[in-house]
Amino acid sequence: MKLIIDGKAFNAYPGDSILDVARREGIAIPTLCYHEAFGGQGSCRLCTVEVTAGGRSRLVASCTYPVSEGIEVKTSTPAVEKIRRNIIMVLYKRASGSVLMQKLYREYGCSENSLGEKQEERCIVCRLCVLACEKMGTSAISTVMRGIDKRVGTPYDQAATACIGCAACAHICPTGAIEVLDSGNIRTIWNKNFNLINCERCGQPFATREEIDYVSRRSGIEDAELCFCEECRRKKLVGKMQGFSPC
Amino acid sequence: MGSQSEMEKIIVVQPEKCTGCRTCELVCSFTHTGEFNPARSRISVFTFEKVGFSSPVLCQQCSTAACMQVCPVGAVSRDNKTGAMVVNSSRCLVCKACTIACPLGATFYDHVSDSILKCDLCGGDPECVKFCPSGAITYQEAGEAGLARRKAVAAKLKDVYEEVS
Repeated sequence: MKLIIDGKAFNAYPGDSILDVARREGIAIPTLCYHEAFGGQGSCRLCTVEVTAGGRSRLVASCTYPVSEGIEVKTSTPAVEKIRRNIIMVLYKRASGSVLMQKLYREYGCSENSLGEKQEERCIVCRLCVLACEKMGTSAISTVMRGIDKRVGTPYDQAATACIGCAACAHICPTGAIEVLDSGNIRTIWNKNFNLINCERCGQPFATREEIDYVSRRSGIEDAELCFCEECRRKKLVGKMQGFSPC
Repeated sequence: MGSQSEMEKIIVVQPEKCTGCRTCELVCSFTHTGEFNPARSRISVFTFEKVGFSSPVLCQQCSTAACMQVCPVGAVSRDNKTGAMVVNSSRCLVCKACTIACPLGATFYDHVSDSILKCDLCGGDPECVKFCPSGAITYQEAGEAGLARRKAVAAKLKDVYEEVS
């Protein structure tokens, strides 16, 4: 099917969102809560665009809006710019401690207002961490509470038994809101302490027991085979090639 | 996937030719990251001084790849053109499961770019091969490589038989 984005015609597949088409064709639409692994969630609304269909135009989140024949999309109009600026302003006020939000707040030229700033907060509740945890098959975190109290957490803020300490949530977080602390042999994340497993050869801590179990379960490789750090695995291979144990 | 097309080539390592000069590490990191930094190289050389042995280690693009099996979001896939296992970094969650699963330790986490790095065969034209001064790393068709190795084994057997008789 065909649609028009910013005056140019593009082909789209049924089931595509407007954002899918835009990304494929190299048209820039800003996003915060979008990730290729999950598709659109429509939670941050930063990807808002103006869609004209059947003679009426309205503002929609492009990441969740499915394309249909003949729609016309404008990615930058005064109305779109205004709503994006408002979104950035509100998210910045909510998560003023985030470097990314501070940067966007300046870039978008948001006007000063009397809304209070949460200086300590960095989370914009985009839910990327929750989806990442879900994809890992662990679902240790989810959003809790409602309205302005909504936040991400583990059940009752206790150390979650399901958490494997992979820190995918921290890596995917666009605003750096999730703390992971590796100190010596201990990794701390979401109020849970993990004992890191030491490499059997060099003794360097490299992964949590739960991570190794996860990999073993998915790949069928024995736990004992996985107890070496990356460098020592490479060394082991070279040793094997030559038929001696690495010195 | 996994099936090797006629033209598919693989990187073949011949450790007996490796001098341990580490040129490949520098070329690899420079090609991919623009800096000479062996820590960010997808190929690494190990030298065992006592026995006088060196060998580069890099991803073997396994046909049943552990990195692909463990990835929760399907970010690791085989490039149909080159046969290389490639990581789609915009899909990757950086859970690092692949770095734990790889039996060769050839898939690793890079702190600088906050992403997973592994050999991608430079899109079908590996730079390390071009710069290896001793010809220890070669890029050849899968069938040919197997033949060369079988020949080498046969030659060794011949030597052994001669010794015995």
